[in-house]
Amino acid sequence: MKRVVTTATAVAAAAAMILTAGCTPGSGGSGSSDPNTFEFWSFTGINQQASVDAYTRDRPDIEVKLTEVGDTSETAQALTAALAGGKVPDLVLIQGDDMPKFMQAPENFVDLTTLGADQMTGDYLDWVISQSTTEDGRVIGIPTDVGGMAIAYRTDLFAAAGLPTDRDEVSELWPTWDAFLEVGKQYVAGTGKPFLDNTPTSIFFQAVNQGSERYYDENRELSYDKNPQVKEAFDLTLRMYEAGISGRIASWTPGWTAGMSKGDFAVMSAPSWMLNAIKTNAPDSAGKWDVATIPGGSGNWGGSYLAIPARAENPAAAWDYIATMQSPEGQLAHFLEHGALPTTPSVYTDPQLLAKTDPFFSDAPIGQIYTESVVNIEPFYIGPDDATIGSELLNTLTSVEQGQVEPDEAWDTALTNVRNALRG
Amino acid sequence: MLSPATDRRTAGRPARSHQIQQGVRERLAPYAYIAPFFLLFFIFGLFPLLFTFYIALFDWNPIGERSYVGLKNFSDLVDDPRFWGALRNTFSIWVLSTVPQLLIALGMAHVLNHVRLRAATLFRMSMLVPYVTSVAATTIVFAQLFDRDYGMLNWLLGLLGFEHIDFTASLWGSHLMIAVMVAWRWTGYNTLLYLASLQAVPRDLYEAAAVDGANGWKQFRHITVPSLRPIIVFTVITSTIGGLQIFTEPLLANPVGGLTCGAARQCQTLTLFLYEQAFGRFHFGYGAAIGVALFVLVVIISAINYLLVTRIRSERP
Repeated sequence: MKRVVTTATAVAAAAAMILTAGCTPGSGGSGSSDPNTFEFWSFTGINQQASVDAYTRDRPDIEVKLTEVGDTSETAQALTAALAGGKVPDLVLIQGDDMPKFMQAPENFVDLTTLGADQMTGDYLDWVISQSTTEDGRVIGIPTDVGGMAIAYRTDLFAAAGLPTDRDEVSELWPTWDAFLEVGKQYVAGTGKPFLDNTPTSIFFQAVNQGSERYYDENRELSYDKNPQVKEAFDLTLRMYEAGISGRIASWTPGWTAGMSKGDFAVMSAPSWMLNAIKTNAPDSAGKWDVATIPGGSGNWGGSYLAIPARAENPAAAWDYIATMQSPEGQLAHFLEHGALPTTPSVYTDPQLLAKTDPFFSDAPIGQIYTESVVNIEPFYIGPDDATIGSELLNTLTSVEQGQVEPDEAWDTALTNVRNALRG
Repeated sequence: MLSPATDRRTAGRPARSHQIQQGVRERLAPYAYIAPFFLLFFIFGLFPLLFTFYIALFDWNPIGERSYVGLKNFSDLVDDPRFWGALRNTFSIWVLSTVPQLLIALGMAHVLNHVRLRAATLFRMSMLVPYVTSVAATTIVFAQLFDRDYGMLNWLLGLLGFEHIDFTASLWGSHLMIAVMVAWRWTGYNTLLYLASLQAVPRDLYEAAAVDGANGWKQFRHITVPSLRPIIVFTVITSTIGGLQIFTEPLLANPVGGLTCGAARQCQTLTLFLYEQAFGRFHFGYGAAIGVALFVLVVIISAINYLLVTRIRSERP
């Protein structure tokens, strides 16, 4: 029998080798947790490295292992996989649109009130912190920034079309979206070129975010098909398209980034984080842009949160980072250097913030413009299916611009698409 | 591996048991040798497959609730126009890429085999360049070539006085674009397979045909194609299975709409639909159901292929 045993042992050994090969510990997966290091997952394009550098300047004894996982959705996917059974980071940045999905399972995250967040929640805009607060008062994320809303426009193209170029005068041109539409028609009549990049992103996503309610009503029930504000924003978008002022260049496509530098459109919607996208995509258009207020005056698109997964090895170090960097002073300092708009209204009257201008955008006072757009926001409930509904409506409007859906069928098509998406 | 019959009458008990042991060992040894593959297959192949069937019976959020729903995911899938659309897109892209790809590969193999080229090895090796290039890089470059406003193709069309075509926006345009990417990647690979097979065809066949007055086309029809029959069947099967799993190209080709490959899901394939549901929307149960549907589809198509192969095998060339 001895030999047989040997064979069995060989098989078992082979199996053991394969199994251990299959689950070698990942890089950085040290079993022992060093109290002076923590792992931080962020997404690209938001320059968290700058915050990390600022933090470690004051705390040379702390080592922050920052990983830029990918874009916002890739980061959310990686976090999901980690929460579902992988190795989690100690600290993670979550985009506002992805927050409702994670809020459905708050037990995956540390309740930050247990670490001291209850002292801080009053520092943030109500409608922002409420999106990361559960109904029973647990806080699973601290907001890092908001988007605010504004319109970026090309002064050179405006001058060529005989329109004013001064930002105050331009802001006065369009107190309402209908006035904006008239300016667009005027521009197209004068130049024969498209006025704005596209209607779904630059009009619908802005207008629908300016309402007092979006896809859910105050009882947290779905109301996207009943809420007149959604329908209004949708119809407004179709009117803009039918007026022929859109360049029909979908956002985030190669043609869109090329169009920014080439001046294929004169205006585009620009929440504060979009300014960085314009600088990156069209560096040679420096000084040709300026920023005016958005029709309707206020609104928000975007923003992010920092959260600590429940299984984090070093929540204490991660919390210290949040408490230091996301205090009103910390957010102000980050804004002055990198332009992410603070979520802490106490600094909105700070002289440094109000004096902050951006040379790329003809020295527009971005601190002033963007904070004014978020101060008067009426908060609305954002539910777990918000991102899905928003993207289906946006996609239908994009189909209209691409000539695949007739404008008079668009609303029914959109509702059908949303219903399909919510069922699956 | 039968144990040798004992013909030694003097064989005592110990020796006998030793023989039995040896016999057992010889019977078991091969299993030990093939064990690594099968262990790997059970762990990384069979187990995930069965687990997918299991997940498909649940409403399963990877980081939250999970509840047993029986076959509800499948009945939803049958009623879901997005699923049928993805199925249509998958087949359409598969046909558009595979048919021309294999025909071109056949023609090129015939030419490369037939013509006395200088630097033949260079030409043969260069066939593999598209195959070793990263899919992501290829896709991004092609997507730029097909761009509506600044793409090279539309620039050429503009020079010739035509309207620009918005490839990514339309159903057929986006399918064509992705099919071109897939064909670009695999044509050279299939050419080399055909070429390798053609090397085994005796030259005197062609020479004899030439003496009898058969031109190039006739030689291609009556010598090249029949002798390549088995390898053609092989490439059809591999292209089919590969074609049903096209993922990277539609993921990257059309930035509009995120994981849907376009605003109207016009080029979303089944694998991309699965990915969108499971990892974009966190519906693991529904994603698993799509995976099961894809599995069944591949099994059916493989069975059809198998029947075709047996028929082709039985035909005398």
